Amino acid sequence: MSVPCSLRVGPFTSNLLLKKRYIAIYIAIIWLSFIPVLTEFWFYWQLLWNNTNALHFYLFLPLFGFLAYVSLVFSGLFVAKVFLIVINVIHPPKEGIFERTHSDKDYRYWNIRLIVKKYPVWIAHKFPFPFLDNICFKVFGVKTKISNSLFEGWVDTEFIEFGKNIIVGQASIIQSSVVIGNLLIVKKVKIKDNVKIGAHSIVMPGTFIGENCILAAHSLTTVDQRLEKNWIYVGIPAEKYKLNEFNKDGLEELIELNIDVDGIREKYEQLYDRGERTHVGYLQRKKEKEEKIEQEKQRWQKIPT
Amino acid sequence: MINKMTTMEQQKDDKPDLTIDFITSSAIGRINFRFLLIYIPIFWLGGLTVMIYAVAFIPKLEYWIAALLYLPASIFFMICLFIIGCVFFSKLILILINLIHKPKEGIFKAEKGAKEFEFWQIRIQLKKISIWLLNNCPLPWMDVLAFRWFGVKVDFSSHMIDAWVDTEFINFGRKVMVGQGAVVMSSMILGKYLIIKRVYLDDYTVVGGQTSVSPGTIIGQDTVLGALSTTTFNQVLEQSWIYFGFPAKKLKVNKYAEVKPGAIKRIDVDNAIAYDVEFDINIDDDKRKLINNNNKEEEGEK
Repeated sequence: MSVPCSLRVGPFTSNLLLKKRYIAIYIAIIWLSFIPVLTEFWFYWQLLWNNTNALHFYLFLPLFGFLAYVSLVFSGLFVAKVFLIVINVIHPPKEGIFERTHSDKDYRYWNIRLIVKKYPVWIAHKFPFPFLDNICFKVFGVKTKISNSLFEGWVDTEFIEFGKNIIVGQASIIQSSVVIGNLLIVKKVKIKDNVKIGAHSIVMPGTFIGENCILAAHSLTTVDQRLEKNWIYVGIPAEKYKLNEFNKDGLEELIELNIDVDGIREKYEQLYDRGERTHVGYLQRKKEKEEKIEQEKQRWQKIPT
Repeated sequence: MINKMTTMEQQKDDKPDLTIDFITSSAIGRINFRFLLIYIPIFWLGGLTVMIYAVAFIPKLEYWIAALLYLPASIFFMICLFIIGCVFFSKLILILINLIHKPKEGIFKAEKGAKEFEFWQIRIQLKKISIWLLNNCPLPWMDVLAFRWFGVKVDFSSHMIDAWVDTEFINFGRKVMVGQGAVVMSSMILGKYLIIKRVYLDDYTVVGGQTSVSPGTIIGQDTVLGALSTTTFNQVLEQSWIYFGFPAKKLKVNKYAEVKPGAIKRIDVDNAIAYDVEFDINIDDDKRKLINNNNKEEEGEK
């Protein structure tokens, strides 16, 4: 269901140029983003605590908390976008291969851009509403539709184009920049309509995925790879597996025919002979459970002579 | 991948190859602002349970020292109350939705207007808020409680807080462990189709870290599915074997299942007896004769 702590993949393209002076940017963004929220709360408090009954204040507080969080995300976005525009005017973002040294201007500004974007994207992802994530990506220059589900994976915030009806699976990574040795590679990722990306898969910078493609789980694309349309790709690195026939209409029965139901049933019956449990009373269930626990004790405490 | 050549040959016969021997994801297909209609009531009603507690108890604490001492416990209690409230109200709405349309297994269309697909999305989104809150709290038993509440057969002895597990059509046995970052899904989107099938995890099974279990898999008793491996659609993993790979294959018999922790071998160091052990040598069969001949010659000399 929801993304647990172990699945929440961090940014692979981590900023390696962490300097103490960048804390100033963080503090500025966080400080400025909290001001509108606090003013909102002040108005709410004035309106409901002082003027009317205190009960109304408590009644609408959860709803206000929800609105306050959403507005915190939006204010953070606004402040970060203003910072980003200023930074982009000083040095516009470019694609290409850069050297990973402090003297390289592109690398330095790439780091600063990531630092600025990090706070709003992080705060949007810390709430179970997927729209907030998509709005963040849209504001920072990723071309997406709101209906794309990008919430479960981790997506880079620049040089990415999405089409319609795209699904990004659990814990998969789509990155437009990668650090290899002493080089930083920044290249545009293009993903066309109806593409499904499986769980745990990684899309590297510069890949182009055609329409109606399926990238299966646990697969990886190389830098600058082109995936042709209407194919299913599997493997590390991703290779053509077979034609994507699942994009045509009216195949439900054919797919079901293709499954060897009897064989699976036989295998299943070899493993289990208990079948569906009929309704039993509470006492009997308790007895069964106690028996099972005793069996477990015997299993685990048995010491062979 | 295995069977790659055979699948390529089959396509020459102009028959569409529809076998499902790969996995995609079970993330929600489309995100809609309509989901807010579900989110806001759950959030509000769950928050109101906390507010009732706050109104009833906080004003009574007149002494500030007592209030300070009481504060951490009350904050913890309020978080628990909020989660339980969210789970309770989402269950209520889930019952209403299931009355309108009952969840079914099978293969359906994953398009905008399709009824099964839309209701599947609503169900997933509804459960998401409470499960998300639980996964971000260090309370594993509450997670199991929510799973039971949503209709998954789970015992308190099994553990799956560190993994992504779908909240419908999954049967857990006793003492099941699902590893960190594993994805156990009972539904999968394949092109234009949505596939829902029940997953069985029997007693004492262990699912390794970062694996993905696809819908319809049946994992028998005492089996271990290794890390970074996948199972295909409708795969059956037999009892007490270790499976590993992409897709999962038999690696070896799970002897850890037969010999339990009491059975670690103990050796008396003082009275140690040396045993001769014959090893299989990993050489081609042609060259093996040479080795044997040499040995025989040596024996003959003796």
